[in-house]
Amino acid sequence: MPIVTALYLLYLAAPIALLAIGSVGQSWTNSLLPSGLTAGWYGQLWSDASFRRAFTVSLTVCTATCAVTALIGVPLAYAIYGASRRGLRAAARVLFLLPVAAPPLVLGFGFILVFSSDSLPFLGSGWLLVAGHVVSTLPYLMQTLVADMRHLDLVTLETAAESLGAGFRQRLFGIVIPSLRQSLSSGLIMVAALSIGEFQLSNLIAGFLSRPYPVVLLQAFYGATGFACAGTMLLLLLAVLSALASASAGRGLPSRKGTPS
Amino acid sequence: MSVVVDSLAFRYPAAGAGLDGISLAVAPGEFCAVIGPSGCGKSTLLKLIAGFLSPAAGRIRIAGTDMTGVPPRLRNLGIVFQNYALFPNMTALENVAYPLKLRGVGRAERLRRAGQALERTRLSGLADRHPRQLSGGQQQRVALARALVFAPGALLLDEPLSALDAAHRAAMRDEIRAVQREHGIATLHVTHDQEEALSIADKVAVMRDGALLQLASPQELYDRPADRFVAGFVGHANLFDGMVSGPDLVETAIGPLACATEGRPVGTAVTLLARPEAVRTDPPDDAVNRFGGTLVRDRFLGSLRRYDLAVPGGTILGETLSRGDIRSVQIPPDCLRILPA
Repeated sequence: MPIVTALYLLYLAAPIALLAIGSVGQSWTNSLLPSGLTAGWYGQLWSDASFRRAFTVSLTVCTATCAVTALIGVPLAYAIYGASRRGLRAAARVLFLLPVAAPPLVLGFGFILVFSSDSLPFLGSGWLLVAGHVVSTLPYLMQTLVADMRHLDLVTLETAAESLGAGFRQRLFGIVIPSLRQSLSSGLIMVAALSIGEFQLSNLIAGFLSRPYPVVLLQAFYGATGFACAGTMLLLLLAVLSALASASAGRGLPSRKGTPS
Repeated sequence: MSVVVDSLAFRYPAAGAGLDGISLAVAPGEFCAVIGPSGCGKSTLLKLIAGFLSPAAGRIRIAGTDMTGVPPRLRNLGIVFQNYALFPNMTALENVAYPLKLRGVGRAERLRRAGQALERTRLSGLADRHPRQLSGGQQQRVALARALVFAPGALLLDEPLSALDAAHRAAMRDEIRAVQREHGIATLHVTHDQEEALSIADKVAVMRDGALLQLASPQELYDRPADRFVAGFVGHANLFDGMVSGPDLVETAIGPLACATEGRPVGTAVTLLARPEAVRTDPPDDAVNRFGGTLVRDRFLGSLRRYDLAVPGGTILGETLSRGDIRSVQIPPDCLRILPA
């Protein structure tokens, strides 16, 4: 068992390790490992305008996606959790799982068809990209939130707060949202990671000026190996950073930790 | 500081179950337990008083004010829930201070009062812990302090001890009672545990199928139950169905039993109640209501021994301190209580 685990971990880590090595290798053609040590590829990446733009686009889209999913996801999850009718709950469940089941290609073609029409000419805009990311990441946040609401038995907590004299707003901001801090932050980590790495949908609907990082990165693979490796390492860094940032954003919500303010 | 419920009626739309005109009054400082089998309507009664359900008919008065139709948050009731319902995002102290915060009490003052309330439930050292860091009994004490800190009009307890293990339950029971006495607050305690109800309450309401069968002190409930259901639900009981067959004589499946029939005419169907501790072992041969039989079950419970004696036509449940063999028992006539069939 430990051997299997070790092999699996090796299998997972090997490509990343190779990418890391390749990104600082001078030249790498037809050999197991590259030769020479250089930071040049990162320098090239930094000086490349299209990469820098894509980097900014990805961060912006990711931030906006997190904000929008949080704003939509919390009330929606609350509504689904609170729905007393079984049928309604089941319908809501199917509805918010649909984007997970449908391949991003389907979603992308749908977006192209709808938003390239004369009445809705939004294809290529940054906001459409955010909308696409929201559709494909929202279900993951919802899952986490609804599961946590059930786990916390939020209904009983609210009943207790109500009996103690709390009105709806006081319950929402004093009990519901602070209790969901943990699951909201872990849900947003997932949203951020998915948004940063999203390729299929973005590749179809992004405009030339709003191409996110993964889409631009694909171009790099037509060029030097070291450059592509450095670009990929940067994507990894970007994903980790945005996940960390969204996690701390989620935790930074009104927590009242330590002081009953 | 009282709770008065007058002809309260409620019906669940789907199930058809509900309450049929319950009237009940809990005086200031009084502790009233509501017991009954599951589905009897005791939790519905609690929800109606708390305001989480609206009655079809009847009035609810809390501390002298008519609260029928008033939203739960304005009823000024302290409620302790079965699973405590402590807020996971707050420490014990913050939980207790929360109702004061909602009432606009200043920060310093509410922390001082919450601290005092925790001290009263002997939890001062745990004030900064979060609920998940507390044991069940500790969480329960925090919940109790939170329900009492704002001097509510009445205290409602919804099966507060059912999630605790047996060892903690008895101790917590005494603690709840002590804190309740100290506050002198009218308390309604809903439970399915009749032993808990008898041991803690000033008076006990027994419910079944949405109706209040009897409201009496624990002693009266035990000694003079209103009917055979109450007799069987509260404590252990021998219940013998029979028919009055003569002056002070009832014919039952185990034979004729001498007891005071209180002038009931011959032929009246009745139920006789004998509590197991009243059954005497190894009586003299000429004793009345003497039954010989064989011991079929014998449970040694430490302070007493509870046994089933199979006699022709039935079984007699008895309790004794004796450790010897039991071959015959007597049910003294003055220990038999006659109930409607």
